[in-house]
Amino acid sequence: MALLRSPLRRARLRLALALAAAAAVAAPLGGAAEVSREYQVKAAFLYNFAQFVEWPARAFPTADAPLTIGILGDDPFDGVLDEILRGEVLHGHRVRVRRAQHEEELADCQLVFISQSEKPRLARIMARLAPRPVLTVSEVAGFAQQGGMVNFYREGSRVRFELNPAAARREGLRFSSQLMSVGKIVESAPGAH
Amino acid sequence: MSRLQEFPLRRRLTVLILASTASALLLACGLLAGYQWQEFRGALVREMGPLADMLAANTQAALSFQDAAAAEANLGALQAEPKVARAAIYGKDGARFAGYSRDGRTEPPKAPAADGYRFGPRGVELFRPVMLNGKRIGTIYLDADLAEVYRRLRIFAGIGVLVLVGSLLFALVVSAWLQRPISRPLLELAETAGGIAERKDFGVRVSADGWREIRTLKDAFNRMLDGIQESERALSTANASLRQEVAERRGAEERIRAQVARLEMLNRITRAIGERQDIRSIFQVVIRMVEEHLPVDFCCVGLLDEAAGTIRIESVGVHHEALGMAVTADANRTLVPDANGLVPCLQGRLVYDAELRGLDFPFPRRLAAGGLRAMVAAPLLVESKVFGIFFAARTSPESFSSGECEFLTQLSGHVALAANQGQLYAALQQAYEDLRQTQQAVMQQERLRALGQMASGIAHDINNAISPVALYTESLLENEPNLSARARDYLGTIQHAIDDVAQTVARMREFYRQRESQLQLTPLQVNPLIQQVLELSRARWSDMPQQRGITIKVATELAPDLPPVLGIESEIREALVNLLFNGVDAMPSGGTITLRTRLQGSGAASAVAVEVADTGIGMDEDTRRRCLEPFFTTKGDRGTGLGLAMVYGTVRRHGAEIEIDSAKGQGTVMRLLFPVPAQAAVATAAPEAPVRVPKRLRLLVIDDDPLLIKSLRDTLETDGHQVVAANGGQAGIEAFTSAQARGEPFIAVITDLGMPYVDGRKVASEIKAASPQTPVIMLTGWGQRLVTEGDIPPHVDRVLNKPPKLRELREALAQCLAPSAPS
Repeated sequence: MALLRSPLRRARLRLALALAAAAAVAAPLGGAAEVSREYQVKAAFLYNFAQFVEWPARAFPTADAPLTIGILGDDPFDGVLDEILRGEVLHGHRVRVRRAQHEEELADCQLVFISQSEKPRLARIMARLAPRPVLTVSEVAGFAQQGGMVNFYREGSRVRFELNPAAARREGLRFSSQLMSVGKIVESAPGAH
Repeated sequence: MSRLQEFPLRRRLTVLILASTASALLLACGLLAGYQWQEFRGALVREMGPLADMLAANTQAALSFQDAAAAEANLGALQAEPKVARAAIYGKDGARFAGYSRDGRTEPPKAPAADGYRFGPRGVELFRPVMLNGKRIGTIYLDADLAEVYRRLRIFAGIGVLVLVGSLLFALVVSAWLQRPISRPLLELAETAGGIAERKDFGVRVSADGWREIRTLKDAFNRMLDGIQESERALSTANASLRQEVAERRGAEERIRAQVARLEMLNRITRAIGERQDIRSIFQVVIRMVEEHLPVDFCCVGLLDEAAGTIRIESVGVHHEALGMAVTADANRTLVPDANGLVPCLQGRLVYDAELRGLDFPFPRRLAAGGLRAMVAAPLLVESKVFGIFFAARTSPESFSSGECEFLTQLSGHVALAANQGQLYAALQQAYEDLRQTQQAVMQQERLRALGQMASGIAHDINNAISPVALYTESLLENEPNLSARARDYLGTIQHAIDDVAQTVARMREFYRQRESQLQLTPLQVNPLIQQVLELSRARWSDMPQQRGITIKVATELAPDLPPVLGIESEIREALVNLLFNGVDAMPSGGTITLRTRLQGSGAASAVAVEVADTGIGMDEDTRRRCLEPFFTTKGDRGTGLGLAMVYGTVRRHGAEIEIDSAKGQGTVMRLLFPVPAQAAVATAAPEAPVRVPKRLRLLVIDDDPLLIKSLRDTLETDGHQVVAANGGQAGIEAFTSAQARGEPFIAVITDLGMPYVDGRKVASEIKAASPQTPVIMLTGWGQRLVTEGDIPPHVDRVLNKPPKLRELREALAQCLAPSAPS
């Protein structure tokens, strides 16, 4: 560990991470080259969340229904996410992406990423999505404390995330223990919902 | 092992027992340790696999979310597992994501190897994949060390050593007790065998107790000793007899060697004498070799004089010179066998006097006086006849061995044989020489016969050719009174020469006909003859040498008033010319030839000597002896080898002698000695009265040679005859018959013998048939032969030789016509 603390080690670690992200979004990205490294990582994390979360059976209309990841508001991934998810199957479901500006359009999604652009409407969106087993992910500060399940934040140059297992449990979703060992656990602030 | 072999038997047995115990124990320990080692390794692998799987499962999220801290924390839990020395997690890309090292010093590998486990020197290394949702998201690494195993092995080894030591101590005690019954009898055997080897005492035996096998061994040993004792006894007996045999053999070999040496000498002597043919040199070589190589101190050979019954010493060795001189001195040279005890030797037996001193015989006494003490006399035998004795003597008495006596006997056999061989060879050589000479004589006769035949042909032609010369010369001298003195002189010389030619031709047959000449010897003076010889041969001794720049002087020393001798002038002249020519040939660089005549001796023994002396190269003895032989020549191709032979023939026909004084480089004197006849015989025959021939005879001359016809007609017509000539036999016969038919017949016919188609014999018979009274005179180049052979053809009244002489012709005509028709 002492070695890892040296600046050279850190630089290397960063480079490795970047490479991992690049590998995750696959090489032919076209215009995705402009997408920031941050969103490449976040796209990969979205996919990883889907792997470490268990949905209740009622989350899927049928046993072979696709697992839909919705993007509400502006899409910051610019196709990177589609590339990552192409042809993937999770928990026996095909994975697909849907983009929408309105939360009603994402009623059958199992995971919704609420873009930064929807910050003003956050409360309303949460209210609409709340009674359904949807994993809500955002990048708005305080989202998890306001009843969101997963929220990205930055710790220096690194992308980290907060988890609100209580909010998830409320809707019947369950975070795996491994996910919780790497995420930061938060609780809903008093007064929210 | 070699060190071990030097150990005493007892210690060696102990060591063997201990070594086998120890190796069994070590083998057991080793197997056990190996099994434990293998087992532990398997257990380690079995333990590490699930641990790695567990770590992989716990690391999925940390890897997925790139949370190194979480991964490190996961690995940190390994502190509880002391076997794990190092651990690491690698990302999907192979980069090390998190690491763990128990001691904090050794770092895990930077990159993962292939999945699975592998054993290294320190422990086992394990790589396992980290899977998530069926995909590989990374690799986990574990390194478990074997420190625990080693610890256990050490304990195990300690226990093993303790067991080994205990076992060996126990084995030592047991072996001391076990080896005794084996080693004790063996040591006893060894000691006994050693004693026997040292003292050669094969009577010792070992006690027969102990284990069964040991007893068998001891029994066998004792039996072997019995056998050895027995064979040793036999061996010493055999050895003694062998030694004796060897000594005998050596003696025999010595004798054989001496025999071989003598044989070799015999061989050498035989070879040496084989190369010689005459007895004396054979004796000499044998004596020398025997003296040097047998060796003996004195050697000699005596030959038996059969008539006198005595022995004469012929050859003496050189070793003992004084004695040799004494033995060969004239007084001592002849030995009487009876008086010298040599009679047995003459009967073919070897005589050996082992001690000469005290023998009362002259020859042994002489030898003893020369210091010799022992003598062997060996007979020289050929076809069981003794012809000599070989003596060998030595200065020490009794010094000839029987082998040497035998050798001398054999040697004398060889010598005798060789001597005999030599004699036979000489006889053979003589016979061969006789045969050779006979053969040569036969060959010469054959040559002479051929030469004679040729000569007779030549003679015929020459006689024909010179006939006209002879006729004309004689006619001129007789019928021409007006000839000048010089012409008369020349014609006289021509006549002489023609006569000589005719005589020479006539004599040619003497080379092949060993018959006395039919010619009559007439008294003649030699001095005028000498002058004629000089004249006739001048060209040869004066002109021809001068052309070559050589001067030969010829001098005459003629005694006056010599009595006449009986002889044939032409032959003597010829002989002298021959001698003169030889003298010229003997002086290739000039000199003087002297012709001498004198009267030698007196009374009945007196003789006229004619000498031809030259100052030339002379003759050696051999040449002088052989120079009279026909065909012997020193002149190479230039000489016929007949000159002196002819001279010799002439000399013999005249009852004369020839003497030759010559030496190499001293010149030669050839001397002819003609006996002086009694006075009565010398009465000079009165010159024949001229034959009166009737004038004007009608004559027919027949010949095939026109020159002869012409000369005959000319000379006969000069005599006043009427001559008709016919060319050839047929023409002659026709002329004769036609003349007879005409009534004017020929008084006489002169015909040639040899003519083509119709020869003289035919002509004569035809003429006699037509007119038996008409005399026929035949002229022939072969006349001499016809006369001597009594071959006067029938119907021929007279035979005349060519060249015809007028006088002879007249005489013949007169004789033929005298009885019947004197006109």
